[in-house]
Amino acid sequence: MKVMVCLKQVPHQDARLDVNSDGTWIQEDNIKFEINSYDTYAIEEALRLKDAGDAEVVVVSIGPDRVTQALRTALGMGADRAVHVNDAAAQGADALGTAKILAAVAKEEGADVIFTGLMADDDNASAIPPMVAELLDMPSATGVTATEISEASIKVERELEGGALEVVELPKPCLIAIQTGANQVRYASLKGIMQAKKKPVDVKTLADLGVADSAGHAHNKATINKISVPAKGDTAEILEGSTDEIVTQLVGKIKELGLL
Amino acid sequence: MIEWSESQLMIRDAVRRFVEAEIAPHVEELEHGDLPPYDILRKMYAAFGMDEMARARFAKQIEAEKSGAMRKLRSDSEGDAEARADQAAASLIPIIELCRYCPGMVTALGVSVGLTASAILSKGTIEQKERWGLDILTLEKIGAWAITEPGSGSDAFGGMRASARREGDEFVLNGSKTFITNGPFADTTVFICKLEENDVDLRDRRILNFVLDRGMPGFEQSAPLRKMGMHSSPTGELFVTDVRVGMDRLLGGEKALGKTGGGREGAKGTFQTERSGVAAMALGIVDRCLELSLKYARERVQFGRPIGEYQLIQDKLARMEVARMNLQNLVFRTIELSARGKTMTFAEASAMKLYAARAAVEVAMEAVQVYGGNGYMSEYVVEQFARDAKVLQIYAGTDEIQIRAIAKDLLRG
Ligand SMILES: Cc1cc2nc3c(=O)[nH]c(=O)nc-3n(C[C@H](O)[C@H](O)[C@H](O)COP(=O)(O)OP(=O)(O)OC[C@H]3O[C@@H](n4cnc5c(N)ncnc54)[C@H](O)[C@@H]3O)c2cc1C
Repeated sequence: MKVMVCLKQVPHQDARLDVNSDGTWIQEDNIKFEINSYDTYAIEEALRLKDAGDAEVVVVSIGPDRVTQALRTALGMGADRAVHVNDAAAQGADALGTAKILAAVAKEEGADVIFTGLMADDDNASAIPPMVAELLDMPSATGVTATEISEASIKVERELEGGALEVVELPKPCLIAIQTGANQVRYASLKGIMQAKKKPVDVKTLADLGVADSAGHAHNKATINKISVPAKGDTAEILEGSTDEIVTQLVGKIKELGLL
Repeated sequence: MIEWSESQLMIRDAVRRFVEAEIAPHVEELEHGDLPPYDILRKMYAAFGMDEMARARFAKQIEAEKSGAMRKLRSDSEGDAEARADQAAASLIPIIELCRYCPGMVTALGVSVGLTASAILSKGTIEQKERWGLDILTLEKIGAWAITEPGSGSDAFGGMRASARREGDEFVLNGSKTFITNGPFADTTVFICKLEENDVDLRDRRILNFVLDRGMPGFEQSAPLRKMGMHSSPTGELFVTDVRVGMDRLLGGEKALGKTGGGREGAKGTFQTERSGVAAMALGIVDRCLELSLKYARERVQFGRPIGEYQLIQDKLARMEVARMNLQNLVFRTIELSARGKTMTFAEASAMKLYAARAAVEVAMEAVQVYGGNGYMSEYVVEQFARDAKVLQIYAGTDEIQIRAIAKDLLRG
């Protein structure tokens, strides 16, 4: 069985973020990056399938050279191979473009199961997983907190609004977007890290994947016009008094707003 | 080696993540409470597969010894230079990272797997290695290594009074040890003493190493002693009163009784590994103290400006950075030597330990100074490093003893 994991490298949660000079994205030079937290759970879920049977785990990421580090970390955790889509044309691709690239990789790999994170820590869009599934004409489930695999299908638990759980069974091949906290993510073992540099990383361009004419920033349907830091407003109200007084005022406000 | 490689940085990041998630939240209980460090260390071993690695290395060594192919193993086992460098880095990086939060944990770990297991692996018979060595290497059991006594520290062998009296095939052990790391909790203790030989002067008697298990009749392990720092490393006294043991507990067995050199050989090798570990410990302490000091120098405002703008504070920060660079280079040198299959001379290891200990103490004290009154308060952590660092000038050979070793080597020419 081939399991593919899509992972995105995002700015480190402690990184200082500044808007870049043309105001359309953040300044990426000299900041630390890490694997999107949701994706770490997706990697773990895939590695559990590998631990339990004979799955081959392939990790895939789109991005510049720095992305190698994220892929090597996943290889250190136990993934078998990596595919790195490194192409300037892919930079700044919108969700659909990115989904097309990932779908092309999945097709080439012949993935039986695709794991992704539910969303990315940086843009919180949650758009790509269902798009990839649609492009591949596969069933998909999002917000997954538990999986149970069998020969032809995967049974998953999904988190719904209000804490309810839904149990769905998907025939393979399928795509599963994992929720954070679904499992306890392992650390890359020291031996794993030392062996990771010997594992294969295939570098691909959009042309290699046959999507140069349909994906990438030149084909974006959505473009970012501007990003900015919200202006500091003066609408905040500071409650004053003893702790008890503050709590009473706060509860009053919450009731006033009809939130309770 | 001039910088960390990509995979070494990955090891660092992974271990740092573990330390920040699993150890940082427990520093209070480890340093100011009664939480022994062992379970967290075991968790770290499991998380990074360090127990599996130790098991595999042990199996290889034993197999080679059984087939008498030790020399071959040394020359080709660990592969190329890069693999050997990674191997050395993989043992030093966790030391550095743990010391950024809890140098005491490294003391406890180092004495168990570094000193105790190494003593068993280098001096023991194959049966003894299998009986006691492996469990300590994997942290399943905790080891203590007891040489220091109330009356003998720097003059460890000369002044030692602990004794082994031979009675047929058995020995009767007596003596008391102090300042023994892991002493209160150890499952397995290497007890170092002198063979009772009536016609030989006490100073020159043969040194023997015995393995004692927790709970043996006549073997008493004290509660932890209160001390200045390294609170996460329990230190205690050991009392051995007429403990009767067979030849199976004498490291090296019958052969140890006939060896030349009076049993003192091999101790130098132990001291040497211990001393290079201290440079890595100092690097962790200095790295964190500098990080904390920089943060405070940027944030703390006095006389209308961040204190980092004052030259007297800048001087401290710059000196900390110099120490950090020097220590990092010493660690790189240690790794590079391992990669080339070389070892440091005894005098060089002593020089490195002397510098590292002093640098760590100076930097940690200066970090307290940068923090002012807050630096003196436990909440701001730097005071812990100042207390912890001080012991680096005392254990594994005091500064004075390192100086003696360096000067002796220089003067010999
Ligand atoms: C936290 C901690 C953990 C320890 N863990 C262990 C352990 O696990 N196992 C173990 O066996 N021991 C352990 N020790 C003991 C440690 O190794 C000794 O404390 C150390 O070797 C110094 O011996 P001492 O304390 O008897 O000091 P002393 O030897 O009495 O020294 C007192 C002073 O005299 C100086 N001095 C001594 N001789 C000379 C000389 N010839 N020339 C100039 N100056 C000299 C010393 O440098 C020192 O300044 C530990 C100690 C500490 C503090």
